Amino acid sequence: MAVDESDLPFEHPLYDLMAKMPGLDLATTSVDKLLNWGVRNSLWIFPMATSCCGIEFMAAAASRVDMDRMGTIVRGTPRQSDVMVVAGTITVKMAPRVKRLWDQMPEPKWCVAMGSCAISGDFYRDIYSVIPGIDTVIPVDVYIPGCPPNPEELMGGMLALQEKVALKRAGLRVPPEVRPETAKMIKPRVGRAEDPTREKLIGHHQALQARTLDLTEPADLVEAMTPKAAADGDQEGGA
Amino acid sequence: MTLERPDRADPYLDLDEYEPEADLMVLNFGPQHPSTHGVFRVVMYLDGETIVKAVPYAGYLHRGVEKLCEKLTYAQITPIVDKNDYVAPMFNEQAVNMAFEALTGTEVPIRAQYIRTIVGEIQRVASHLLWLGTFAMDLGGAIGGGTSVFMWCFREREMILDLFEHLTGCRFHYNTHTLGGNRHDIPAGWAEKVHATLGHIAQRVDEYEAILDHPIFKARTEGVGVISAQLALDLGLTGPLLRASGVDHDLRRDAPYNIYDQLDVQVMTDTGGDCAARYRVRVREMRESIRIARALVDNVPPGPICGTKPIKLPVQTRVKDGQVYVALETPRGELGTYVIGGGDNRNASPYRLKIRPPSLHALSALPYVLPGHGVSDAVAILGSLDPIMGEADR
Ligand code: SF4
Repeated sequence: MAVDESDLPFEHPLYDLMAKMPGLDLATTSVDKLLNWGVRNSLWIFPMATSCCGIEFMAAAASRVDMDRMGTIVRGTPRQSDVMVVAGTITVKMAPRVKRLWDQMPEPKWCVAMGSCAISGDFYRDIYSVIPGIDTVIPVDVYIPGCPPNPEELMGGMLALQEKVALKRAGLRVPPEVRPETAKMIKPRVGRAEDPTREKLIGHHQALQARTLDLTEPADLVEAMTPKAAADGDQEGGA
Repeated sequence: MTLERPDRADPYLDLDEYEPEADLMVLNFGPQHPSTHGVFRVVMYLDGETIVKAVPYAGYLHRGVEKLCEKLTYAQITPIVDKNDYVAPMFNEQAVNMAFEALTGTEVPIRAQYIRTIVGEIQRVASHLLWLGTFAMDLGGAIGGGTSVFMWCFREREMILDLFEHLTGCRFHYNTHTLGGNRHDIPAGWAEKVHATLGHIAQRVDEYEAILDHPIFKARTEGVGVISAQLALDLGLTGPLLRASGVDHDLRRDAPYNIYDQLDVQVMTDTGGDCAARYRVRVREMRESIRIARALVDNVPPGPICGTKPIKLPVQTRVKDGQVYVALETPRGELGTYVIGGGDNRNASPYRLKIRPPSLHALSALPYVLPGHGVSDAVAILGSLDPIMGEADR
């Protein structure tokens, strides 16, 4: 769909109505406020709990901390949730599934990376089977560091997310979250999503895997992963 | 290939030759499912409502821990293996450190052995509590909306985590065991706290048993997922699964480590082999562990808690060669650690570290047990096996 970028003033039937009916603008802003309040305080969580951090996530949802009083009900299906909490190590085999589940969540949606595994891969960062942080696959809104973060910290993270949601709904610009970096941390061999040194192929491979749920033939994957130009060049060279 | 065994289903059923009575349907269960206890996938072939074949897929949490350990020094490995069985980390630490001690010939002082035994037994209670909570939740609306037992179990588990926090400063992933002993001595007032907490939990366990003596709970567990003693032995199942099938085997009594040879450990067995038997065994084990921990915590002998000199540099421990296998009884069964010395960093790392996880063996029972059950029973069976994927996939 083409976007109309002309400077014509935007007209909405509601505007006419508002001009005619004093008090309606008050009602709409009130409705808007109510909506914002609702969105902010009913962040339903989809737990992507793969490992140890998932246990702390369960502890946060259970009796002592009882995160439910913030309106964060835990749902077992992506279709009914607003926030994906990635709690635990994400492996190469699991990442396409995470991406797929993320794609199934309806907008607006947010992602919380809980624990150093989800943030950066932790000490498994350089292991062949672990992806260095979930933000190489999906965008992250709030990072909660720790190994594992206490349930209270998870709750703090959710409060931070609520703030962020409130600001965004109010139309203010929220600067993107920066991943906590320590100076001495070893750089992961696989570049992060926004890293210019990251190979294009990795993202392509991940996207392909996510689309096909990892079920394509390896040969197809190899073919798809081979850059077009290089393949053409090879053929020409061979001929 | 067909297996003509009355006590188990044929896991290699040829579906092309199978003649279904109703529609044949393929159901994918997992890897992201709240009832799979982590990331685990089973593809079930259904004939109408009944499972005729089940194919499990593991490896969604393969973190390469064994490979990682080959690069780390002996002192650095302890906090890494903590993350394997994240419901009972105390046992992982103990297992690798016991292996390293056997490899280097380090003596563990008696006080450290007492502390290890006590924290192990308390950890066993915590692990079984978590299992009970999640199992009751898996059974869904069976008991009061399903999540009541989960909430109660977590309430008690938090008390145990408080005990450990008092002792080591961490809620879990303690890193309290080290080569030759422990890092943290029992603080003042801890013994009274243990008595108070475990006494409280002992009462609660009675309550759970009274609540779960419930017709719906019984209907969903009794006779479901029967593992015969022969099948359990063939698959190498250990721990509560084996004991629930009627095999009287417990490493704490049969191959004692720490100070278990001085203790009289009651081994809890049951004969059913079904989910209900596994539940009963675990509940009785909780009581037994509470009894052992409470009896020991007052009688800890004085002395040092670590046999070696405090290690200043992690590379100080060097082992040229030799290999050793040690096994201990975790809440899930036999956790074996096999170490070969003389690896990287001029012998400061193991050449190979192999972990034998009880959960992986437990999961191998699924193709034999699931066929013949409905899908709702599959959730109950999977829950009753108590798999921890961090340990199974490593
Ligand atoms: S951050 Fe630590 S606790 Fe969390 S999943 Fe990773 S290893 Fe486990």
